[in-house]
Amino acid sequence: MHNIWLIAKREYLERVRTKSFILTTILIPLLMGGGIVVAVLTQGKPDTNSRIAVVSADQQLALDLQTEIESNKDHHYTVDVISPPVAGTRTTLDGELANKQLDGYLWITPAATSAARPTFSYTPRSDRAYATKEDIKAALRSVLIRERLSHQGMVASDVTSLMQPVQLDTTQAGKNDSSTAAYVTVIILFFLMYFVIMLYGMNVARSIIEEKTSRVFEVLLATITSEEIMAGKMLGVGAVGLTQVFIWLGAALMLTGVAAVQAMAGGQLHLSLNAAEIIFFFVFFILGFLLYASIAAALGAMTNSEQELQQLNMVLVLPLAACFFAMGVVVSNPNSAVSVILSLIPFMTPLIMYLRISIVAVPVWQIGLSIALMLASIYAVLWVASRIYRVGILMYGKKPSLPEILRWLKYS
Amino acid sequence: MPIVELEHVRKAYDTKIAVEDLSFNIEPGSMFGLLGPNGSGKTSTIRMMIGITVPDSGGINLFGEPFTRKNLHRVGYLPEERGLYKKMKAIDQLIFLGQLHGLDAATASRRAHAWCERVDIMPAIHKKTEELSKGMQQKIQFIAALLHEPELIIMDEPFSGLDPVNATVLQDILVELRQAGRTVLFSTHRMDQVEKLCDNICLIHNSHLVLSGSMREVKSHYPRNRVDMVFEGDTGFLQHPSIEDAKLYSGRAEIKLRSEDGIAPDAQPLLAEAIRRGTRITRFEVKEPTLEEIFIEKVTQSANNGGGKVYA
Repeated sequence: MHNIWLIAKREYLERVRTKSFILTTILIPLLMGGGIVVAVLTQGKPDTNSRIAVVSADQQLALDLQTEIESNKDHHYTVDVISPPVAGTRTTLDGELANKQLDGYLWITPAATSAARPTFSYTPRSDRAYATKEDIKAALRSVLIRERLSHQGMVASDVTSLMQPVQLDTTQAGKNDSSTAAYVTVIILFFLMYFVIMLYGMNVARSIIEEKTSRVFEVLLATITSEEIMAGKMLGVGAVGLTQVFIWLGAALMLTGVAAVQAMAGGQLHLSLNAAEIIFFFVFFILGFLLYASIAAALGAMTNSEQELQQLNMVLVLPLAACFFAMGVVVSNPNSAVSVILSLIPFMTPLIMYLRISIVAVPVWQIGLSIALMLASIYAVLWVASRIYRVGILMYGKKPSLPEILRWLKYS
Repeated sequence: MPIVELEHVRKAYDTKIAVEDLSFNIEPGSMFGLLGPNGSGKTSTIRMMIGITVPDSGGINLFGEPFTRKNLHRVGYLPEERGLYKKMKAIDQLIFLGQLHGLDAATASRRAHAWCERVDIMPAIHKKTEELSKGMQQKIQFIAALLHEPELIIMDEPFSGLDPVNATVLQDILVELRQAGRTVLFSTHRMDQVEKLCDNICLIHNSHLVLSGSMREVKSHYPRNRVDMVFEGDTGFLQHPSIEDAKLYSGRAEIKLRSEDGIAPDAQPLLAEAIRRGTRITRFEVKEPTLEEIFIEKVTQSANNGGGKVYA
């Protein structure tokens, strides 16, 4: 145990001190922060205050439109009404567009007959004003419907109540309440695991290859076992990855924290997680990472160069991808036999078991069994990896074939 | 009680036999030479002794008991292929390796500093391995093997790649350690290097034991039948019937005299012949064969007798 700790500590300290680690750790949050600042700066401005003109021979229609457009909640519009238009109106408006006093104008040509609709033509200052166009369209639609309904003899107050937007309440009973939140956290867990495994799992493999090429292992093997080397490497390199991820997560939370709190307070974002779920999130994340890192360690033990390693990348990605597809089955029926079995497969446990835990009450024995199975498979994979490592380095030079690897497992 | 005992050890990798029926003992406080050409099985033997690999058959005892990992703290090992972490500072590396051998950080640091001073690499201890010269790296690795004050010191090709001055520094340290009662095991293909150092030797060739015993014993089996000559003039004396084989260099000859049954031959007739021919002789020395010559002789002998697979 002491030896594993020593190996892990060396690996961790050496890596954390490298310039590349320090740089990426600091730069990524800075870039994230910068991105958010830029987004905020560019987003807010054009929509803050748009000034548009409505030109119509029908003054009532123009005024209705003005009220409707100006009542828009998301953007602030100032609407000028020009009714009726005179000969120079269009030239004047075009001039205002050109010197940016106006963002666009809507030209309404009255209908020739009472049965036909008038024609509408919107001239924006720039093509990018997509949102404005949509807002005007929506306003036109509701104004026209209201007008038609009034024409049919409906009372104005009835029309207003008819046009009220529908409120859809989504309160459901019991545990199901949090199923969306559960799904969201599972997706977050999935991407976090995917990201971390891709970024750092491969580092474990790389570090083992590096050890082979530097040939330090022979001195190490003269005092400690290859199992200890493997476990130490996995924990040390893994801890580096986790350190970086937690720093990034912390930075991300600080950056978005204010916005998230506001959104939650406003009821737009509703993430209900209880303490147990948060604990399970981290337990499964760390166990999952260790399991996949131990597979990466085995890959590193098998290969002699970075290039060979790249070809085996799939071995890490495929089980994760399988989890993603299995999630659908599990969500629809979280306590079915299939779901239970899937959640007990160690490579799927972190995502699938977590998903089940957050949707339904999972029996304690199943959770315990899944964690025990994961620990057992981490140990088994490491044992195999250390065998391959030990025999592989003593017969270095060529890439082992699968039958050879199986034969190596029997060597001692 | 021997500190290392090998009994009929055999090890094969896939189809290649690395070590076959190898037995020898190493006495405590001695300097033992495990000698043989490249690929003869020296490193494989050492790896089995320290548990990196396990013999297919046969037994290995260390410190009088069957191999256990806990005894590894009593062994210092310098592998043939040097390996240090490239990006790690020399001193950190030594402390780390010392800790792996069971030292606490403070002791490891203190001893590492003392050793670095001793082998004169103090200015380098805060540099990364990749910034150091090969010789310095080797010294660091050498220290790493000694930091935990092991009773048994195993050195696989310790002087390869070192200049004579540095080789002497390390050699003196090993002699000193032997005098302090430690046991030293050398492995090398440079037999001339260890000839004067080793008390006991074991010669292996193509995985098989060729010769073993104390240096004095081995040499006593071989008569003084070598003549080293430095001369000017006529070389006709090389045709003398007492000569079995001769190598002629410019102004120098290495001669092997005919001898029977381990009786030292008489070199006087050869000297007389050279003088009769008027050759001016600067040096005429009758010597015992070197270890290398014994080895070559032994290997060709067993090849002629059809014993073992010998290609040398």
